[in-house]
Amino acid sequence: MKLELGFIQIKDIQFSKECKVENGTLYVNADEVKDFVFKDDDVKACVKAAHFDIAKPGESVRITPVKDVIEPRVKVEGPGGEFPGVIAKVDTVGSGKTHVLRGMAVVTAGKIVGFQEGVIDMSGPGADYTPFSKLLNLVLVCEPVEGVHQHEYEHAVRIAGLRAATFVGELGRAVTPDDTQEFETYGIKEGIEKFPDLPRVAYVHMLQSQGLLHDTYVYGVDAKRSLTTIIYPTETMDGAILSGNCVSACDKNTTYHHQNNPVVADLFAQHGKTLNYVCNIITNENVYLADKMRSSDWSAKLCRLLDLDGVIVSQEGFGNPDTDLIMNTKKIEQMGVKTTIITDEYAGQDGKSQSLADADPLADAVVTGGNANEVIILPAMDKVIGTLDYVDKIAGGHAGSLRPDGTIEAELQVITGATNEMGFNCLSAR
Amino acid sequence: MASDRQYLILTNNPLVKTCMDGRYAIRFFADLSLRDILVKARDMVYEGHELYTHPLAGSVKPNETPYKSVVVSRTAGQMQADQAEIMANSIVACDKFAPRHRELSQKVREDFQLIDYTLLSGALGFDAAAGLSNACNKK
Repeated sequence: MKLELGFIQIKDIQFSKECKVENGTLYVNADEVKDFVFKDDDVKACVKAAHFDIAKPGESVRITPVKDVIEPRVKVEGPGGEFPGVIAKVDTVGSGKTHVLRGMAVVTAGKIVGFQEGVIDMSGPGADYTPFSKLLNLVLVCEPVEGVHQHEYEHAVRIAGLRAATFVGELGRAVTPDDTQEFETYGIKEGIEKFPDLPRVAYVHMLQSQGLLHDTYVYGVDAKRSLTTIIYPTETMDGAILSGNCVSACDKNTTYHHQNNPVVADLFAQHGKTLNYVCNIITNENVYLADKMRSSDWSAKLCRLLDLDGVIVSQEGFGNPDTDLIMNTKKIEQMGVKTTIITDEYAGQDGKSQSLADADPLADAVVTGGNANEVIILPAMDKVIGTLDYVDKIAGGHAGSLRPDGTIEAELQVITGATNEMGFNCLSAR
Repeated sequence: MASDRQYLILTNNPLVKTCMDGRYAIRFFADLSLRDILVKARDMVYEGHELYTHPLAGSVKPNETPYKSVVVSRTAGQMQADQAEIMANSIVACDKFAPRHRELSQKVREDFQLIDYTLLSGALGFDAAAGLSNACNKK
């Protein structure tokens, strides 16, 4: 399957009377986008008010609480459309041509529950910890209708963000991309014939699937209801996997992360050179122990069936998923397939505690995204998009985290994407 | 999945009691902390009760939410070492989060209760929305 991505570099975003992309500037008429967002019945029923704001790199701006980050894209050739099974109808994506508005994102913000979390600082020390401080962000701040149930509201805000991104992405349809790149993986036999001497490598992509506010959707299907299965890497790149995860800001995989998964990017960079990138194996992180057994059995079985030499395994979240991570790794290793895992750590504020809630001698190759318990001081910003009401409640914050001058003392956990477990972050030991 | 009749829910979450009472066997401990529930579950797993749900379900951290529900079997059999290890590791993981001393508003408490309840519902295949409606009707 072959996908061509055409990158349109966005250098500025401005509110305007009309909506267009011209000479690298995105002009947005907020009312037009809002009209499109509110055409959805669930959004209409559950979202009382919504407004747009713009946050640019280097500004003294704090966005919080962040729900999702989405890269606007549009399918210009080939089957399917954006966010299949949710916005576009269900059709296999991952082939043809897609235009990407690079350098920007749609960010959804506003409270879902009373401990809603996620901070993006556009400047200062906090900005160094989140990749989204480097993007031009079109922020959609939503407010719930009084009395709406949290699960209905989470769904509505998720859809609102995806609709806004779809509308903005559509503006890039007729624009000539600044750069175009192709990505292709092959059928099993074809791949072996093309690269007979290269090791066969796949990516075991674990999807958060524990329940309300902890969900991931694959072609619109809640991942907890699926058995472990195979997906082309280009399907992931083309919007097949969406985030419904609102918890644990530092290590949640936003939709942007799924669209721009760095494991997929790095495996493609080595594809045909040092390895044969076979496919992605997607598996879930359920709460019920028998589900964990079943899903990890299937991960290992598929690795053997595909005659893989090695896999990279990434997880999403803390605690419960550590058990899935170790089950997957152990069983895949026992099939004779080498593993390397990507995780983050909850090693305590002093970094001295055991990092994961589970471990095994076979899981001996680990890449870390950093210690989520590390304490950080975030200075006050001139402007807040969203609200600071929940900062004292969020993971890593504590009573008194929000000081009267607007400074926040909290753990890295509060920052969106800080210790991302796909490795999409800025932390380094160097 | 095991039969519903085998499930015993250990919880300090009043919403679980309200919505699931009658459907499952529940031991509700209003005064126990999240850690106390984990210890109770660990002790039962040591006694040979089967562990059905992961004790660290949810990415809401143990020093953040006060509520926890864990499902074990009603009857005890042979102690399973891997399950005992999951329980022990969960308590170690819980203890590494710095304790916080803060007052939670009723609204925030209810949100934490809802998350615990919905994660539990998802694990057991229980219709969380129907459970909430039934609970409203009972009132």
